[in-house]
Amino acid sequence: MSGPYSGLRVVDTTGLAGAYATRLLAGMGADVIRLEPPEGSPLRRLGPFAEGIEPPENSLWWSYLAMGSQSVVIDPGDIESLTEVLSEADVLFEDRLPNASKLPTQDINPKTIRTRILPFGLTGPKRDWRSSNLIAWAASGILYTTGFTDRAPVAPAAPVQLAYHASAASALVGTLLALRSRRLTGLAQEVEISMQEAALSIAPETGVPMFMDDRVHRERSGNRRDLGRPFGLYPCQDGFVSIIVLMPRHWVAMSQWVAEATDNESIVEEVFVDNAVRVEARDLIDDWVEELTQRHTRLELFEEGQRRGIPITPVNTIEALVEDPHLQAADFWQTTSLQDGTEVKIPGAPFRSSSAWWSMAPAPRLGQHTDQYLS
Amino acid sequence: MTVTETDLPLNGIRVFELGIAIASPYCGKLMAHFGADVLKVESQTSPDVVRILGSAWLKDRDDLAAIASDTSPYVSEMNASKRSVGLELKTAEGKAAAMQLLAECDVFLANFGARALVDLGFDYEAVAAINPDIVYVQLPGFGSNEDLPYYPFVAWGPNQAPLVGMDDFTGHAQDPPAGIATVAPPDYMSALHAAIATITGLEQRDATGEGVHVDISQFETTLALLGPFVMDYELTGTVHSRMGNRSMWGSPQGVYPCSGDERWIAISATESQDWDALRAVLGSCVDSDFDDPSIRVSAQDRLDEQIAAWTAGFESEDLAGRLQAAGIAAHIVSTNEDLLHDTHVTSRQWYQVAESTRLGRDVFTNSPVKLGRTSGRWTGAGPSMGQHTRDVLSEVAGMSAAAIDNLIAVGGAFEQVDPETTTTRPWDDWIHLLLPGTEDARDL
Repeated sequence: MSGPYSGLRVVDTTGLAGAYATRLLAGMGADVIRLEPPEGSPLRRLGPFAEGIEPPENSLWWSYLAMGSQSVVIDPGDIESLTEVLSEADVLFEDRLPNASKLPTQDINPKTIRTRILPFGLTGPKRDWRSSNLIAWAASGILYTTGFTDRAPVAPAAPVQLAYHASAASALVGTLLALRSRRLTGLAQEVEISMQEAALSIAPETGVPMFMDDRVHRERSGNRRDLGRPFGLYPCQDGFVSIIVLMPRHWVAMSQWVAEATDNESIVEEVFVDNAVRVEARDLIDDWVEELTQRHTRLELFEEGQRRGIPITPVNTIEALVEDPHLQAADFWQTTSLQDGTEVKIPGAPFRSSSAWWSMAPAPRLGQHTDQYLS
Repeated sequence: MTVTETDLPLNGIRVFELGIAIASPYCGKLMAHFGADVLKVESQTSPDVVRILGSAWLKDRDDLAAIASDTSPYVSEMNASKRSVGLELKTAEGKAAAMQLLAECDVFLANFGARALVDLGFDYEAVAAINPDIVYVQLPGFGSNEDLPYYPFVAWGPNQAPLVGMDDFTGHAQDPPAGIATVAPPDYMSALHAAIATITGLEQRDATGEGVHVDISQFETTLALLGPFVMDYELTGTVHSRMGNRSMWGSPQGVYPCSGDERWIAISATESQDWDALRAVLGSCVDSDFDDPSIRVSAQDRLDEQIAAWTAGFESEDLAGRLQAAGIAAHIVSTNEDLLHDTHVTSRQWYQVAESTRLGRDVFTNSPVKLGRTSGRWTGAGPSMGQHTRDVLSEVAGMSAAAIDNLIAVGGAFEQVDPETTTTRPWDDWIHLLLPGTEDARDL
């Protein structure tokens, strides 16, 4: 393995909570060992699954998040083998509550950095509480403000598991800082992430400092917000586009476009340049804007709107993203191979660096590297 | 320089930051917390959006209009512990001073548009000409390759989430997508990746002497979270999309009503042992055929209705405590008011108070990254605009007082406006309520 973390040994005992972090470490050259029980990592039970491949090798979550790592299977009762693998670790990722962990961590090497991702952290009244992506968002203030008023509130992009990935990425930041500190001082330390805090830190709009400032009780408002008009999602021929118009110059460009495309002379009247007036007349403004958007596709509206300097983007589906012309021209997509040899498209490196930082091997078979690490 | 055990990992590192709103500033805040000297280079003619937002309580205070730029809560939330340097980069003099500073910096961090950086003359080649081993990290919406189709397009937080697929994944299955303009995951995920890239770049530079240019296209970075969905689309043509609060991996999981107006509880019980624990609490309030996991999935509507009928009889906080005591993942759906009274959060020192020259002191949220031995620091709340211009130009760039006076006189730099005008936030008297162990705001 090459890359900036070549030679670094990382042991990951987590499931979704740490997987994105160790995926990045593997991409940047670290030896990432996924410690699996005989039945396999919990990641291997997460669908969707690839057809024609037997479990536990068919999970697409495993095939993606475990890329570049090595699979070492140890029975949780085999303390001797666990100790052997842990003793060589530079970094150990854990996500178990302290009372549920069976790792022999009392014998851990003092040079090992322990990165612990916990539902609510290691201290405080909820330290033993359990969590999930949904629970972390519920505890962040964001879930309450997302969704339509006549329906139950919803987590943001729930299937994407953002709360786990934000926790993992935050954990990696802490881990890299601890590694730097270890290089400078010779001393390891513990890194602690609370999933609730990882979600809170990416949700300041509903956070306490903002609330104390304006004392506005945040409510959900569907897919439009009354901060401006047009503001939110608007239907078009093949889905929706997102339009956020607040600045006067954006409105002038937007209204001109609607006027030209739909022969609407009223929309360019001076009175509507005032955002407050547009919010007051929001149903009318929305109808006028929709007359334009419903005549075109997402990409047509994106390109023409951007050409006119309007903050507009398509509301992309997975299909639209895979077909997106910019990503194709950027050569963003890469491939990985599944256990039966099938090549499948995956997102490429999360960033591009002038040094050779990124390369990814396929995800390992269950126990593929056990013999290599156990004597 | 000898390093002691508690020295912060980024001690001695200096960051030149051209940041707007969140993506670059949040990364810079983390760097500052862990020891870096982060110079937030700001303009009065094209200010950071957090300088335009101002504060809600200040709206009708014409007497304080001149200092409004220092009062948005986002100023501290995104810029605590940084130093603010007022430089007008579009002037030759301001740009020259910035280049003098850059020669003394370790990291260049920016989320200006890629074209804006080129136009200003702060693209990688220009900066590396001054400082060849710089760790240069930029976060443009669509990358810095000018040959690509969306290179000139405008990227902005609330519009980036729908672009990268987040809105299509948000909402109930049969509804239109619910916008998520209250949260901008692409900004924060890009910020975290920028921190990862910055620390990695510094380690590489320390080991090899070579700097690095890292280009973080917010579009690409956020898409890296969608791997399994891309793969399934390629393999089977399945377009995964929103499914409310339900799980792809088991049932039940959802948000259910509790007693009171708009009170809700979130429950995740997707594994079989979770169901056993939940069933013990629910008893006969749910049909017994739900003990079959396949029926829990195939008849989710019926199961959710029965759970909702049960939860509606409980007060949400009480029910969350009962479920967690039974080993089930659950939490109230917290509102702003709930967060204000969340004693778990406050017990972990999630809110921090630090000195502010303009507001006396200000509150902001802590770092979600906690290190045991080198736990970080907050040297101040968000700086006033231009607060440290003179200090930084003198101490870092080595400029004389006369040279700085001249630079300001010709409009290449600016200092904090009306330094004698100060105020306090209306809630300053009860700021101590956010900090356990303090009885009175005067104790702080």
